[in-house]
Amino acid sequence: MKILRNIYKLFFIFFFILFTNISLGNVNQLTDYYKTIRCLVCEGQSIQESDTEFAINLKEQIQEKYNSGMELNQINQELIKIYGEEISFNPSNDHFVLWGLPLFLLIIILFLVKDKYRKN
Amino acid sequence: MRKSLILPVLGLAILTICVFFSLLSNNEEDNKKNIDLPLMMFDTPGFYDMKTLNQKMLDDVYIINFFASWCKPCLAEHPLLMELQSKGMQIIGVNFRDDEDNFVEWINEHGNPFFHIIRDDGSIAYEMGLIGVPETFFIEKSKIQKKVQGPLFYEDIEKYL
Amino acid sequence: MISLLGNFSFYLTLFFIVIFYLGWGKKILLKDQILLNLIYIFGIAPFLFLVIGFTISDFSILNVIQNSYINDPLFFKITSAWGSHEGSILLWLFLINFFGIIFLKSNNNLQIHKQIIFISSLFVLYLLLSSNPFVYVENSSEIVGLGLNPILQHILFVIHPPTLFLGYIGLIIPFVLASHILVTKDFSQNLYKQMLFWSKISWFFLTFGIVLGSYWAYSELGWGGWWFWDPVENISLIPWLLNTALIHSLQVSIKNDQLKLWSLNLALYSFIAAVFGTFLVRSNLIVSVHSFATDPLRGLFLIVIIAYLFFVTIKLNIKSVIHFNQDTFSLVSKESFLLLNNIFFIAAALTVFIGTVYPLFSELFFQSSVSIGAPYYNFAFNILMSPIILLMAFAPQISWDKNKNKKNKFLITILIAGCISIIAFLYSSNFYFALSIFIASPIIIQSLFLIFKEFKKDIRFYSQWLAHLSIAIFIIAAVYTEQFDQEENFVFEKNGSSQIVMSNGNSIYLKNIKDTSFINYQEILVELLIMNDETEYLLFPSKNIYQPSGQVTNEVSTVNQWLHQYYATISSIESDRVAINLVYKPMINLLWISTIMLVFSIFLSIIKKR
Repeated sequence: MKILRNIYKLFFIFFFILFTNISLGNVNQLTDYYKTIRCLVCEGQSIQESDTEFAINLKEQIQEKYNSGMELNQINQELIKIYGEEISFNPSNDHFVLWGLPLFLLIIILFLVKDKYRKN
Repeated sequence: MRKSLILPVLGLAILTICVFFSLLSNNEEDNKKNIDLPLMMFDTPGFYDMKTLNQKMLDDVYIINFFASWCKPCLAEHPLLMELQSKGMQIIGVNFRDDEDNFVEWINEHGNPFFHIIRDDGSIAYEMGLIGVPETFFIEKSKIQKKVQGPLFYEDIEKYL
Repeated sequence: MISLLGNFSFYLTLFFIVIFYLGWGKKILLKDQILLNLIYIFGIAPFLFLVIGFTISDFSILNVIQNSYINDPLFFKITSAWGSHEGSILLWLFLINFFGIIFLKSNNNLQIHKQIIFISSLFVLYLLLSSNPFVYVENSSEIVGLGLNPILQHILFVIHPPTLFLGYIGLIIPFVLASHILVTKDFSQNLYKQMLFWSKISWFFLTFGIVLGSYWAYSELGWGGWWFWDPVENISLIPWLLNTALIHSLQVSIKNDQLKLWSLNLALYSFIAAVFGTFLVRSNLIVSVHSFATDPLRGLFLIVIIAYLFFVTIKLNIKSVIHFNQDTFSLVSKESFLLLNNIFFIAAALTVFIGTVYPLFSELFFQSSVSIGAPYYNFAFNILMSPIILLMAFAPQISWDKNKNKKNKFLITILIAGCISIIAFLYSSNFYFALSIFIASPIIIQSLFLIFKEFKKDIRFYSQWLAHLSIAIFIIAAVYTEQFDQEENFVFEKNGSSQIVMSNGNSIYLKNIKDTSFINYQEILVELLIMNDETEYLLFPSKNIYQPSGQVTNEVSTVNQWLHQYYATISSIESDRVAINLVYKPMINLLWISTIMLVFSIFLSIIKKR
């Protein structure tokens, strides 16, 4: 159990770092970023996947700003300011319930079942 | 309390909340955003008169309308825009991501309700948070009073006539 | 006529249900068994009547007018029967009664069937009061129908919803069995075995249905995606996760008489999840590509059914207090690993559920409309599933009660996995891919060990072996295809060259543009040729314009290169230019192969002798 818990903690740290900041995978940062921006006239798709004028325009504008030196972070903040929180598929860290949820759930459930393990 | 009761009770609670929410929710137009007018609009020269806008040229109340020749609902609301213009309302037209020839032909064919037209490659739309054409902003005293997404209907412009 | 028959069937099934409940069977000279058969038959009939209505294009039925076109191909006319909200709820009713009558053959316990017919009656009331497909319209020869949505005119659409529904509604049998066990306190192994059998049946259809839906999205939607964490996809995933947990948990319950309350509750929740999910997407609470055009009242109506199911669950759990001994396990044992399995799967199901409904809560309580999509689920879901994937490599070999196997084998496997993943990283420079190799390869390595060590003739062993192996392959293929896919856009000008050089050096040629008229649509087809070394690949993406709606769809064209695929769509087509979108999806075929392997392995687990 202890071994498992430790491996698990390791994984959690790995994934947390990976998914929040570092881009160690795909070369095209912009395409990855587009996948995190929601197309507001579609039904749940990102602007990367959508063909609507809205999506195409947004992609062009973002690309222009990116090429002129703006950081993705800044672009993201500006987008949220203009279009509202729903434009980003990355809920802000204010929604800590969401981000902490997986680990929280597991801890709760494991706590509820700890009595099942008999001591050898 | 039995541990195994936590989940179903929680489930029922969530269900109840869903019920209340769906009963209470209404699709009200959210006017929470009070963006300042993008400076770009005032920097871009008009298509016909090649002049840039000046705050002094504008009345207290005016309208910004995003349109395109390839947009069918824009055609549908066009008569309403003409009516507003005939009553003396200042309407700024922003031609969104359009082909120049098509746009000119559209204006010539259907009439020009705009006192000033700006052509936009999308950056003005972006700054104003445009969802799609047609979209109309009603400005009063330099603040966006109302935004209508989609074609205008009579109720929207009633009070401005 | 058909409207009449349909409605009449509704009333008849209700009538007999009431008779059954009141115990008045004797008064009308019908034995309970026969009554049950009648109830089920009249519950099955309405759907068949609707199908007939569609087949003959009976435009005296409103639903047929709304969802069918006189010139639609016959095949799609029939399948339009379940294309609307009303039709799909009617399919629910059909399947509930269909399962009921089949279950009657193997288990005719009246108490159990009382539950089934009660749930069926709730659906009949739902249909009668808010979603009746048999609304009568004065027929006129001018009515030709509004047509089936062109996106739905596809063979996969025909199979996908019924398969999924078979999975959802199949879960009703474990539900009523579990509830029966808790009420009668009859914990005989036989009942658990029945539960296991029926959960496998629904598991088969659920898995197959989800795979079909995913493949349909891939081949229809145009950008090479196969899973979007769309709310409707999520609500099919949740019952699937619970169903998987149920099957594993039942192994412990049957073998050792342990984790009984876990198994029973999992059975109850799986069905609740299926019904709840259905409600969620038919109310206006969730926005999705799957949305039915429907008013919120219909969704609310389903809440009555779900509330009933929850109350049953609560009542049963309260009553179950005294009759379960506290299980205890040794730390490293099969029971303990399977308990962990339950925990992780339930946590994953809850996470997907909360991710799906969170936007609602956020709007209600925080007045902020947050969007939850792939970034969140990739984070949350993958974290929860990764440990269980690792465990999956070793759990089958761990013995019951207390593990007697040597630890060395496990360490060797992890070491080999580590080496392979480092090699993968060095070769591909992609961390996620290397990580997926590390997590999934232990299963593959262990599977290879097992096959070479002993050649068992046990189907049950093979079904489990194949299932776990296919999951491992799936993970590797999925991560690979998402990390290494490429997309490119090409514009062919009218007077320009018909050849464009791609970014990888190959050339793409525009060969031809064809315009063809079919009975209910017009097709504009573009022929493309890709030259890769000496091999030619042909693609035929098209735009279809449908009658009578005028709706335009984008048809995807794919061509295979062993395990990889080229995937083309027309972005736009004008008189002077054609814009093509080309996607390269490496290893995507391996992904589909692994899903077929998984479905087949479940099939194997069902056909073994009971």
